[in-house]
Amino acid sequence: MNKKIFLVPVILFFLLISIFFYLLLIDRDPSELPSMLINKKAPQFKAESLFDEQTIISNTEFGEEIVLVNFFATWCLPCRAEHQFIKKLSNKPGIKLIGINYKDKNEITKKWLNEMGNPYSKVGVDKNGSIAIDWGLYGIPETYVVDKNGIVQYKYIGPITKKTYKQFYSQIKKLKK
Amino acid sequence: MINIVGNTSLYLALLLATFQTFSLFKTEKKFIKRYKFFVFGSLIFSSIAFFSLMYGYFVSDFTILNVFKNSHSSKPLIYKIAATWGNHEGSMLLWILVLSIFNFLIFKLCNKKNLNYVYKSLQIQGFIIFGFMLFIILTSNPFQNMKSLQSEGLGFNPILQDPALAIHPPFLYIGYVGFSAAFSLAIATLISQTKITDVPWHQYIKTFVMIAWTFLTIGIALGSIWAYYELGWGGWWFWDPVENASFMPWLLGTALIHSLMIVEKTKSLQIWVLLLSILTFLLSVIGTFLVRSGILTSVHTFALDPSRGIYILTFMAILGGYAFILFFKKSKYFFSEKYFIFLSKEGSILFNNFLMVIVCATVFLGTVYPLIIEAILDDKISVGEPYFNKTIIPMTIPAILLMGIAPIFSWKKDTLKRIIRISSPKIIATIILTLSFLYFYKFINFMGIIGIFLAFWIMSNNFLNLIFKAKGYSKETVLAHFGVGLLILGIAGSSVWQEEKVARMNVKDKMKIKNYTIIFNEINEIKGQNYVAIQGNFLVNNKKNKITNLKPEKRLYPVTNIVTTEAAIHTSLARDLYIVLGDGNSNDGWIIRFYINPLVIWIWIGVMFMFAGGLLSIKKNLNKRKNA
Repeated sequence: MNKKIFLVPVILFFLLISIFFYLLLIDRDPSELPSMLINKKAPQFKAESLFDEQTIISNTEFGEEIVLVNFFATWCLPCRAEHQFIKKLSNKPGIKLIGINYKDKNEITKKWLNEMGNPYSKVGVDKNGSIAIDWGLYGIPETYVVDKNGIVQYKYIGPITKKTYKQFYSQIKKLKK
Repeated sequence: MINIVGNTSLYLALLLATFQTFSLFKTEKKFIKRYKFFVFGSLIFSSIAFFSLMYGYFVSDFTILNVFKNSHSSKPLIYKIAATWGNHEGSMLLWILVLSIFNFLIFKLCNKKNLNYVYKSLQIQGFIIFGFMLFIILTSNPFQNMKSLQSEGLGFNPILQDPALAIHPPFLYIGYVGFSAAFSLAIATLISQTKITDVPWHQYIKTFVMIAWTFLTIGIALGSIWAYYELGWGGWWFWDPVENASFMPWLLGTALIHSLMIVEKTKSLQIWVLLLSILTFLLSVIGTFLVRSGILTSVHTFALDPSRGIYILTFMAILGGYAFILFFKKSKYFFSEKYFIFLSKEGSILFNNFLMVIVCATVFLGTVYPLIIEAILDDKISVGEPYFNKTIIPMTIPAILLMGIAPIFSWKKDTLKRIIRISSPKIIATIILTLSFLYFYKFINFMGIIGIFLAFWIMSNNFLNLIFKAKGYSKETVLAHFGVGLLILGIAGSSVWQEEKVARMNVKDKMKIKNYTIIFNEINEIKGQNYVAIQGNFLVNNKKNKITNLKPEKRLYPVTNIVTTEAAIHTSLARDLYIVLGDGNSNDGWIIRFYINPLVIWIWIGVMFMFAGGLLSIKKNLNKRKNA
């Protein structure tokens, strides 16, 4: 039997180790999921405004500043936890927040925003979840970052937390430059 | 105070491990004296470190950063204690403690004949302890002080607040770390080359592998039980990277136990056993690396920290690089030109060994493939359940068929005629059992029938072998193998015939699934020790009678603001009824997921059989050595 065959484990082992090293050293986020929307124009949508049923919120919102589209609901407990960070984001200059109220009751949402504070410049109503489908929602909450050209640059799944806030905001800062 | 005690013990243990790795000795007496000191010292200091952290959790000492981050005074006592190893730093401390225990056990092997051999093994084991201890001190010290005074901790991930999970890591670590002993012994064997013909190194390895395998088995099962009861996804295995990380050493460990039998009997296959010993432990370390470095995401990922990943990876490169190069250089001394006949005990064991290794390689590929693709093509892909089911199930079918009859094969050479004669009652028993099962359950599904057939095949073979006292087939093996049969029954039943129904229900609504009617009675708010919850109350009836009231919960832990789902499960020998309360409100109703999981309980019973078989084998092995 050829002895050289025992070199195979040595080579395979070091190949694997180098791949691991490479991945550890480059800047990457393993929880980032690819989305069909990234780098594409934000999907067309039309939503009734929560506070004024006559007004329609649509893609005309995009274009002047960076827009965060945040899907939320009052029945979703993680959204409640996330809310303080959404508020924090709303205080930053050059960012507009659009809330999409997912499968909820208007009255309850109004009360909820009254109590918790309303960080959104506009809130659209997605009663039957059809906007969520167009945007490819995984779960709720979920936040999309749309740049000045109306292009989706970043998608964040799940609640923004104390831990992830910084990283999330750095993504937005990148766009501001 | 605790911080000082803990930190000091960490450094002292590190010092002792360094000595253990590099110390020389002149006489036998000096060796025993010196190494006794190192080995006992390591054990004592790592115990002190571990138990002082546990004490910190016990008294909720929030001056320790680790306790502050992971505990809360409102937490039930058992979870305070379990929190010691429920976080990255503490779990590494447990890892070190188990390493030191195995270090001690290796030292216990020492006698006049094997002195040099044990010395070399202890050097390797000492180096492993040194590596992990340095890792703790440099990147994951659990005894860091809090900068400010805090009266309350941050709590800990409530998903981890579960009895099965609380005891799962200690068992798992005895498994993972037990393989370190096999690794050290295998390396010492390679270094010693042929000088050790009078040292029964394969018997030593076998004892350690058995301990590791037995505890890894129960450790994996406990993790699985946790996933089943706590995650609320209706399943018990998800091919999650971390599950795979524990499954791979298990597969190789299983192969290792069986090939050690051949070494014991025929002295061939030594080279294979040595390679498996090295690979099994390295896979355990790779498992740790995958979980701790945050290189991939999984339900178990601990706090992400790339510097930790780089450290473990470097350590692994040194350890593995050394082992493989040594193996390359020394393997020729252990090579035997011997061929096996398939129809013999050793031939069939070897065949199954190869299948296990291929299955392990397939799991490994599925786990790291997304990483390789990302590194080379910068593309993100995910490998999921379909890959594993499609590749692994076909490979395990021949392995299980062979597993049923191989134990009664003769060594060296057997005849087909004899095998058929002995097996025919078992084949008949299997067919009768399978047909009556299908008649009773009326489940017709190709994969399911194969699964049930294999389960009964293993069970009837083992049962009849036990009754007829088959030669060379120990009771311990029968027990463990019978457990595998039960396990297959549970796996086949629950994966092929699972029924699922999702519905939006309001209070007083009714839902039907198969023979069951579910009535949504009420929904209430309740208060637990450190959480608040909404609890649904569902009445489950079959056609005639009431079966049970199921009360699934959705809990909110205010301290960490985390929501968990608690599935409610009614278990019988035939099926589990599994209900999960989803999102909703009292106006629009609640999303309810209801599963019928047939035969799940047999998975856990099967594992208990395997565990018992393993424990009895360990006992038998130790007795044999005592008498020898």
